[in-house]
Amino acid sequence: MFRGSLINIMGTRFDILIIGKSKPESDSLWDKIVSELCQLDKQLNRFDPLSELSLINQNASFKSISVTSEMWSILVSCKQYNRQTFGLFDITLKDFSKVILSESDKSIFFSQSDISLDLGGYAKGYALKKINQYLFNAQVQNCFVDFGNSSILSIGHHPYGDSWKVSIPNPFNPRESLDEISLKDEAMSVSGNTPTYSGHIVRPDSKEVIIDRKVISITSSDPLEAEVLSTTFMIANEEEKKRLCDNFEIKSFTEYFL
Amino acid sequence: MSNKKPRQVDTSLRQFIKDLGYISGGAALLATTPWLQSFTPDKAKEIKSEKARIGFIGTGSRGQYSIHAVLAIPHAEIVALCDNYAPNLKTASALCPKAKTYTDYRKMLESPDIDGVIISTPLYLHAPMTLDALAAGKHVYCEKAMALTMDQCKSVYDAYQNTDKVLYFCMQRMFDEKYIKGMQMIHSGLIGDIVGERCHWFRNHDWRRPVPSQDLERHINWRLYWESSAGLMTELASHQLEVCCWAMQKVPESVIGVGDIVYWKDGREVYDSVNLVYHYNNGVKINYESLISNKYNGMEDQILGNKGSMNLATGNYYLENEESSKRSGIEQLIDNIGNKIYASVPAAGPSWRPETKEKYVPYNILEGNFNVNDGLSMIGALKDGSDEILSSFCQACITGEKGKNIVEEAYSATMLCLLGNQAMSEQRKITFPEEYKIPYMKFS
Repeated sequence: MFRGSLINIMGTRFDILIIGKSKPESDSLWDKIVSELCQLDKQLNRFDPLSELSLINQNASFKSISVTSEMWSILVSCKQYNRQTFGLFDITLKDFSKVILSESDKSIFFSQSDISLDLGGYAKGYALKKINQYLFNAQVQNCFVDFGNSSILSIGHHPYGDSWKVSIPNPFNPRESLDEISLKDEAMSVSGNTPTYSGHIVRPDSKEVIIDRKVISITSSDPLEAEVLSTTFMIANEEEKKRLCDNFEIKSFTEYFL
Repeated sequence: MSNKKPRQVDTSLRQFIKDLGYISGGAALLATTPWLQSFTPDKAKEIKSEKARIGFIGTGSRGQYSIHAVLAIPHAEIVALCDNYAPNLKTASALCPKAKTYTDYRKMLESPDIDGVIISTPLYLHAPMTLDALAAGKHVYCEKAMALTMDQCKSVYDAYQNTDKVLYFCMQRMFDEKYIKGMQMIHSGLIGDIVGERCHWFRNHDWRRPVPSQDLERHINWRLYWESSAGLMTELASHQLEVCCWAMQKVPESVIGVGDIVYWKDGREVYDSVNLVYHYNNGVKINYESLISNKYNGMEDQILGNKGSMNLATGNYYLENEESSKRSGIEQLIDNIGNKIYASVPAAGPSWRPETKEKYVPYNILEGNFNVNDGLSMIGALKDGSDEILSSFCQACITGEKGKNIVEEAYSATMLCLLGNQAMSEQRKITFPEEYKIPYMKFS
């Protein structure tokens, strides 16, 4: 059993448990994961003034900014999720239509001056999706990844069970468990407000700050989709939730009112 | 009284003991709260058909509060009332018209038809009336504090050692479910070692009663003058200092303090603002503060441990470093795998953030709804243990069984109040005098 842990990465912590791999194999895999996460942290952290994302945020309202190919693919995927969620998933938190992407030179331009990008509801899912690929390539059979509590990736099963079981604590009463979910070869993302952290979820069209005392959990085979959708479901109305369920292959979606 | 319907109080008393775990863990509970031994459902059954004949000495606001409570107790009847202030006696008599009325308590004590008396009079009368009533062969329940002076306290204590009569002082927190459960938790180590105690009682009220004529000022506003009162210490702090000693299971050895009249400069003599530090032999301190010209902080009895804080008045507690001391989900998972346990990982939730400041989440001492005393009433609060201690006393009037520890606790608490007043008035540190120590008190 190998355990890897980074306590301050991409604004949170990262923990992984790999079962059934030799130490050298696990070490080498862990090295790859660490360098990937550090690379993404450098690129996507909007609080780091030198990150690629910060350079975009600082300059794209003045001129077109050419981006790396990885950033380009991220921006294109964010645009696609924006469309697929009828504008609810929006990395500008305001109006994604003001983000002009130019395919020819892989550049980005903001047609409105107060636009900036925040990948907070995307980056962990994106990272998990890449890590999932590394794990697959290394033929890891059983593995559990906890990315900042809110994003979980499971491969195979617990050494003494047929899946990985996780419980969702009530953020307003940590002693109360809202649910227990069994995961096997799937990802889970949880979104919600906590007593010390709320007001971070905003509906882009109405600018309404979602302060509901609720928690959303989404499971999906795709860690990125789970990540994108958990925040989206926090702000979606009932009709939109139905449409989201039609548009995406969600394994399960649960809403807990606290 | 024949017209009295059996009310739910008896049931609630049974429930009270039941809720406290008497049925399931009675022995452990009764070891730590021995005064409840005479108060069990079985004992209540034994005296079901009997009634304690109760006389009231003092029928002012607190006396009337207790009259209402005793009227609801199936195993008691009020047979006599005494007051030298006619308006109060009249009001009380209307509440229990069959009770015989007196204006001189000594006359009342001569009556063979009274088993026990309930004394709700100004502090300076507690000791003489209690001593007279015990000498007359009556069981006695007296409001707190025990007495106006240390010598009086000692006389009452000594008299109690030499009587077979029951003596209660209204230390109602000893019968308050929140306090009893809270103390069990403290003594079981929930909040770790006690490292400090903080109690305060804030009101914004002049503590005066309207007087019909000026010559009644000292009679009615007895609380404001040193000849009849020991001020905030005996009226308010006595309950709280009792709680501190109960939690610590010992008595502070010294006290320093300052007392002043800060705001209510209306001719009163007693302080309207007191701050004291009581010092236990192991260095733990009680910080006590009372002020009656600002009520923002209300009332609280707070016991601080290295692992948590117990707010006994509010009925909740907080644990220290709960989040950071908890093992992370992945650590628990590793432990479980090590122990071959397949259990869920408490991992999922809104994102863990390194910058998130720890927030204390309160736990309630009792489940369900319970009463919290905001400390504002001069007369008494609902469900603060007063009804239970009265019921227990009435039961003891029938059985003759003394209430364990009650007199000793009242003695200790009152002595601490009076030593606090001495420290404030003499502006020096006062050490607990040897001559007033009783075997019950532990100082180390």
